[in-house]
Amino acid sequence: MGEKEYRISRYTYRETDIVHGIVIASLLISCTLITALSFSRSLTLLNYQLFFIPILYAAYFYARRGLVIAGISGVAYQAVGYYYCYPDPAALMGVTSQAFLFVIIASLMTYFIERIRAGEARYRSVFTHSQLGIVLFSLPDLWIKQTNDKFAEMLHYSADELCGMTFSSLAFTPRERKMFLERMENRDNCENFEIRLHTKEGDSCWVNLSWSAIDEQTVSVTVVNINARKILEDVKDDTMLKYRQLTENSPTSILVLREGAIRFANPAFSAFSGYSPEELEGKDLLFLLDSRDREKFLAFKKRLADETDITEGTDFRFVTKSGGLKVAAIFANPILHNNRQATMMNLVDISVQQRLEEKIQQDNERRRGIIITVAHELRTPLQPILGYLNLLIQDPEGFGILDDTKKMLERCLVSVERERQIINQMLELSVLDSGKIQLTFAEFSLPVLVRSMLDTCGYNSRAEVTIDIPDTLIITADRDRLYSVLDSLLSNAVNYSKPPRKIHVSYRPGPDGTTHTIAVRDNGIGIPQNLFASIFEPFQLADAAKLSRKYNRLGLSLSIAKKIIQMHGGDITVESTVNVGSTFTIHIPGKLPEENNHVA
Amino acid sequence: MSHKIMLVEDDEPILELMEILLTRIGYEPLIVPDVLEALTIVRTDPPALILLDVMMEPVDGWEFLEKLRTEYGMKELPVLLFTASPSVEERLATMNDKWLGVLEKPVSIPDLKAGLEKFLKK
Repeated sequence: MGEKEYRISRYTYRETDIVHGIVIASLLISCTLITALSFSRSLTLLNYQLFFIPILYAAYFYARRGLVIAGISGVAYQAVGYYYCYPDPAALMGVTSQAFLFVIIASLMTYFIERIRAGEARYRSVFTHSQLGIVLFSLPDLWIKQTNDKFAEMLHYSADELCGMTFSSLAFTPRERKMFLERMENRDNCENFEIRLHTKEGDSCWVNLSWSAIDEQTVSVTVVNINARKILEDVKDDTMLKYRQLTENSPTSILVLREGAIRFANPAFSAFSGYSPEELEGKDLLFLLDSRDREKFLAFKKRLADETDITEGTDFRFVTKSGGLKVAAIFANPILHNNRQATMMNLVDISVQQRLEEKIQQDNERRRGIIITVAHELRTPLQPILGYLNLLIQDPEGFGILDDTKKMLERCLVSVERERQIINQMLELSVLDSGKIQLTFAEFSLPVLVRSMLDTCGYNSRAEVTIDIPDTLIITADRDRLYSVLDSLLSNAVNYSKPPRKIHVSYRPGPDGTTHTIAVRDNGIGIPQNLFASIFEPFQLADAAKLSRKYNRLGLSLSIAKKIIQMHGGDITVESTVNVGSTFTIHIPGKLPEENNHVA
Repeated sequence: MSHKIMLVEDDEPILELMEILLTRIGYEPLIVPDVLEALTIVRTDPPALILLDVMMEPVDGWEFLEKLRTEYGMKELPVLLFTASPSVEERLATMNDKWLGVLEKPVSIPDLKAGLEKFLKK
């Protein structure tokens, strides 16, 4: 309050003090005069009682200092009394005792008033210095009687401004006002009622209210500002909402983990694990894993802490709510979740894929088993045929065989050899397909290999073979297998052409110098373009009819050749024109494929 | 002096053929169609080499070999597995037995001759 203050010696007086002083002084003078008058007229009705007015007035406002007024009153009363009653001893006694009574009454009053004031001061101190907002409002109209500064600060009002308002008018929305009023009607006391109030500027402010009725007309409310917490919660909800929107329809499972615990799981993960999102929240992912994979997961988490993100999937087995076993590949990367470090995991359910892979593997094993058995059963009966044919052809005279018959037997022998070869090729292909074979790499001279093959297999005598390979060329590959590939190509070149056969074997380094390109060109019957792919496929039944007449004798050699080159990390291609010739080209990388890196 | 070659084989056409072939290329064949009988003969009259079929009843080639090597202690008797089954070589590779080899069916006369000579020389 902007009140003027006056200093007189060591005391400070406010304007109200001066007003009170004047009132007290005039009251004292009036009392003295009235008392004197009543004594002089012998009116006993009004004398000392009047002095209680200034005494009580002073005691009420100034407590201890009010005693001075009581003293002055006593002296004034005594002086007046003595003046009129002298020398009656009884009357003098009465006046004196009255004067003492003033002081006693004033002392008692002072005492009680100070007690009351002290209690009030304590309450006031709590009220003004409290860290909680405190509001007193009246019932039933809800007018705010009093608020402390803390509450006023919360809403950016001054305490005085608030005193002109009803508490319910502070609610942020009509709906919240209605909620508050309903709550007020239902009970006198209430704890932790969360509501938004509006600030002076019209912004919302989240508060927690607890109130109790002090008396019939007054309710005291404590107000805690929970705005910060609520905003954080809102942010959290907002983040969750975003995650949800982003991941709702994702077919892959998505998790957000912080400190090992699941903070968010999308519906796909719920479906995968069988747990509801509520059940998952806060759960440690470790306990959803099959116990056999827990160590592995801990290592994975450690790796995640060391590295930024793990882009290749790592497979883990999960136990679902119903106790089933599922497999998922986990991809993980760090994210910020509510401004804190967290991990986002994508889980791809590979249970079905793995079951299929296992089934395919089993099927492959079984097929290979069948092929091995079939090969055995097909080769065993060939033994007597081959053996007896050998015997007869070796010693025609001994067995009395004519030349014509011998020629027939020789044709039989060729067929038997071919059948044996096909069975062997079928076996080789199944071995290569099984993936159990590893190549044995070595450095060797390609021109030497090609020349020795031409001599050994007699291609030189059946065709005019030209070679365009640098004499010094050394390559790294599986020598024996590359030999068989080139042998197949040369053999086809000879078999599918008519004299004069011309075969050209050439070498070119790849465009980047890291690939080897070896081409075998012939002037044979050629291959129609629509069969380019089929000739590399084993037993293409759909094309069997087309292939059968001219190309049936290819057997499986091209399938095997392609497989071997693929195992080297390369490929084999064909260019051909019917009745002009074909070119088969082998491309193999200069660097070894890593998984086959066994240099002999 | 010609080497005595024992053939343990239960397939009759092959058995007859092999007797002729082995004689023809200069060996003395001892044909035993019964694998149990072969287990007895091998101890009483040990051959220079055994041509051993793998798929036989009631004792197969592997069991025969096991008995021969461990029970009878005939660790240096050359044995050629005479089989049409392609899976034999994988198993053979793990056995580390230098007196054990494979002769794949069907075998031609030159291959039979070469195979036997190679093994007997050792």
